[in-house]
Amino acid sequence: MQTLALYVGFGLVTASILCVGAIGFTLQFGISNLFNLAFGATMTAAAFIAYICNAAGLDIWASLVLGSLGAAALSYLLNRGIYLPFKKRTTSLFTLIMVTLGVGLVIQYGIEAIWGATDFSYTLGPGRSLHFAGMVVTTTQLIVIGIAVGAAVVMHLLLRYTRLGKAMRAVAVNERLARNCGIPVRIVADSTWVISGVLSGLAGVTLVMDVQTLNSSTGTEFFILIVAAAVLGGIGSPYGAMIGSIIIGVVAEVSAGFLNPAFKDITSFAILIVVLLLRPTGVIRSVASAKEVAR
Amino acid sequence: MSSAWQFYIATLVIYAFVYIIAASGLNLQFGVAGIYNFAFIIFQAAGAYTTGVLSLGRPGSTGLQTYILGLHLPFPVPLLVSGVVAGLLGVGVGAVTIRRLRADYLAIALLVISLIATDLVTNATGLFNGATGLSLIPQPFASVTSSSTAYDWIYAAYAGVVCILVVLAVRVIIRSPLGRCLRALRENENAAAAIGKNVAGLRLFVFGVGGAIAGLSGSVLVSFTQAWAPSSWLYGETFVLFTALIVGGVGSNLGPVLGALLVPVVLAEGSRYLPAFGAPTLVPSLEWILIGVILVVFLWFRPTGLIPEPRRVYPRAWRAGGADENRPNLVDDDQRVAQGLVAR
Repeated sequence: MQTLALYVGFGLVTASILCVGAIGFTLQFGISNLFNLAFGATMTAAAFIAYICNAAGLDIWASLVLGSLGAAALSYLLNRGIYLPFKKRTTSLFTLIMVTLGVGLVIQYGIEAIWGATDFSYTLGPGRSLHFAGMVVTTTQLIVIGIAVGAAVVMHLLLRYTRLGKAMRAVAVNERLARNCGIPVRIVADSTWVISGVLSGLAGVTLVMDVQTLNSSTGTEFFILIVAAAVLGGIGSPYGAMIGSIIIGVVAEVSAGFLNPAFKDITSFAILIVVLLLRPTGVIRSVASAKEVAR
Repeated sequence: MSSAWQFYIATLVIYAFVYIIAASGLNLQFGVAGIYNFAFIIFQAAGAYTTGVLSLGRPGSTGLQTYILGLHLPFPVPLLVSGVVAGLLGVGVGAVTIRRLRADYLAIALLVISLIATDLVTNATGLFNGATGLSLIPQPFASVTSSSTAYDWIYAAYAGVVCILVVLAVRVIIRSPLGRCLRALRENENAAAAIGKNVAGLRLFVFGVGGAIAGLSGSVLVSFTQAWAPSSWLYGETFVLFTALIVGGVGSNLGPVLGALLVPVVLAEGSRYLPAFGAPTLVPSLEWILIGVILVVFLWFRPTGLIPEPRRVYPRAWRAGGADENRPNLVDDDQRVAQGLVAR
């Protein structure tokens, strides 16, 4: 029991990072109807921006903020400069997914061309380990969980109680109807890409704070878990992303602890495949059904 | 020519043939049938590993490698079995697609399958020697000649024969009524199903045949390089092949050939022999950046590739359909068939 609690503790930390990333990824799909395979690379870029700030003497929190803002700018520019023109030009799903892939490659290997394949890490303040109900978490990890809970609450308030949030949900379910009701879809989409960029930045930087290594493939490797969480929860649904993240995060760490660390990803991927076979629309299916991801 | 140059050129030729075989298989799946198979490389890997374990002999006879089976079968058998194994794997993976997912959603699922496969083979060391991979895989024609230069050219000829057979086979499929069904599947799956095409069966077929072709390419490659490890078939390789198809021309006969010559061979294999500059990871990362840029640029400026798929118009069917002669653009006949506009 003791060990189970320990791994669940680790799982909650992973789930927190996943949750922030998965909300961002799923929002992008909901608004723009595309799978942004450059999302992981954006996370890495944010983590490197934070690394530059951190190495220049800023403390980690200021770096976290700057990294997230950088990712927001990058995400906005990607949508406006590349994805949107392509969407106007073609309806081919393949073109869009390959474009996001190409952009992801350029960002990821651009970073590798500059920094090489070396591992970096942040200078964090002195932390200590806290013991709670059999779990062991460091103060940093506790803050990571706090950031995730904060982000989830803010997203919930945004989506439920603001005009922007309601418009985002409307566009995700039926873009044409939303447009006909007078919702400025372009502005909503721009805002969504900025918000999801902030989330990808938060996820990228907190991921590095947790695992304490950063290289050019950090974000892209973690990204697949984010996809798993978003798809499991129901692609396009932010609440689904939260549910999916908790399941994937806890299952990944518990199976890593009890079975074999090497099988950590395999277990979560296997869950994903089973979900795709049995219920391809995921747990919360409203957006996924509207976009006909499965027939 | 010095033997070093001959080795270099023979190697490039062999790689070119392997990439052409693989690109033709992917063209059948993606270009013709419209399936975004982001797991394509695992079928090449399946072929390569099959050839490895079928020609290495008993585990323990060649260093400290652990792997399953461990047979030593004579030359053509490993090649053929590789094709069959990879084809069966293709049918198995294709079964995942029985649930009809949106094409890009399916692509993500296949990408995950590719990652699972890499993770499994890396961590289950008993299968194919884990992350170290198989090495010292015997050369099939070692007994023919003792000169290594001559051997390379014999091997290149063998790769060329397999390549030509595969390209011809794909060409036959593309031109046959079966190919027309596959294109109907690509253009409008619901309409294809509505006129009585067995959509699930066609998908399984194309997964099987494409997988088998990928398996052959893996077999040809591994008997030459004599080594195969998870790092040889990372999921990025699939995207190199997709880039090749996009550059060459999706769905056409010669597009994959041209694309395979331009993208992987010139780019990746050519630059391998460039003088090293900068950090050791600089050249590979520049290659990947270039692939990303090529992808985006081609999809924007020339999405049909250098050799576009020919428009297929059948005048007799067109007239029988009672079409308006003055209509400005002719609709692709396949599309009209799929839409039920042409009586069959």
